[in-house]
Amino acid sequence: MNFGRLRYALAGALAGIANGFFGGGGGSILVPALTKVCKLEQRKAFATSVAVILPLCTLSVAIYFFRGGLDLMTALPYVAGGAVGGLVGGRIFRDVKVVWIKRGFGLLLIYGGVRCFL
Amino acid sequence: MNQWLLPLGVGFLTGILSGFGVGGGTLLLVYLTVVAKMDQHLAQGINLLYFLPAALFALPAHWKNGYIERPVLLPAIASGLITAGLAAWVATAMDVELLRKFFAVFLIVIGLNELFGKGEE
Repeated sequence: MNFGRLRYALAGALAGIANGFFGGGGGSILVPALTKVCKLEQRKAFATSVAVILPLCTLSVAIYFFRGGLDLMTALPYVAGGAVGGLVGGRIFRDVKVVWIKRGFGLLLIYGGVRCFL
Repeated sequence: MNQWLLPLGVGFLTGILSGFGVGGGTLLLVYLTVVAKMDQHLAQGINLLYFLPAALFALPAHWKNGYIERPVLLPAIASGLITAGLAAWVATAMDVELLRKFFAVFLIVIGLNELFGKGEE
């Protein structure tokens, strides 16, 4: 059991680095870590990653806030939209095929990464 | 009006993905930095804040459906809190342009992994 917990801790640590450093993307690391290293079923890995990231996010956002990198008024509409989206996402998750989302998601990220360099 | 409506819509769409745990936050970061052309620090702060309600509202359904693997939670959250705190501390002190370069590499690596990684379903 110790190895299992060690792997979970390692996965969490990697997600924490992404979460704090990039302000997001923890799930993009945590999900593959949970499926490949910890051998979790894919759907469980997705849902569990949401539960793990939430407290990490809470800490990170406090640090960003107190160190001056956060504009609440600009954030507000995104936060409101995200709340409703999250509610819908949780409800329909059971009936969604995950693979095609991942593919489209991958393309968008590469596009964004290239644009960030330019 | 548009200044509110567009962010609201974008937040909603990425919020669905965030609720899945598929990386809605990463996608929102791309939108904020590339399309809305926000400064990297501001975008990251907004993205963090946005995820809190999105996750909070998605979790009850996941819990009810039995998708939360409970043994993962304690060790992953404990170690993650330590690294997240340190990383957030470093990032908020870092030069914005440099942070953006790191971010670009991060996106490309994750994107490639999503595209070519093996899915199980």
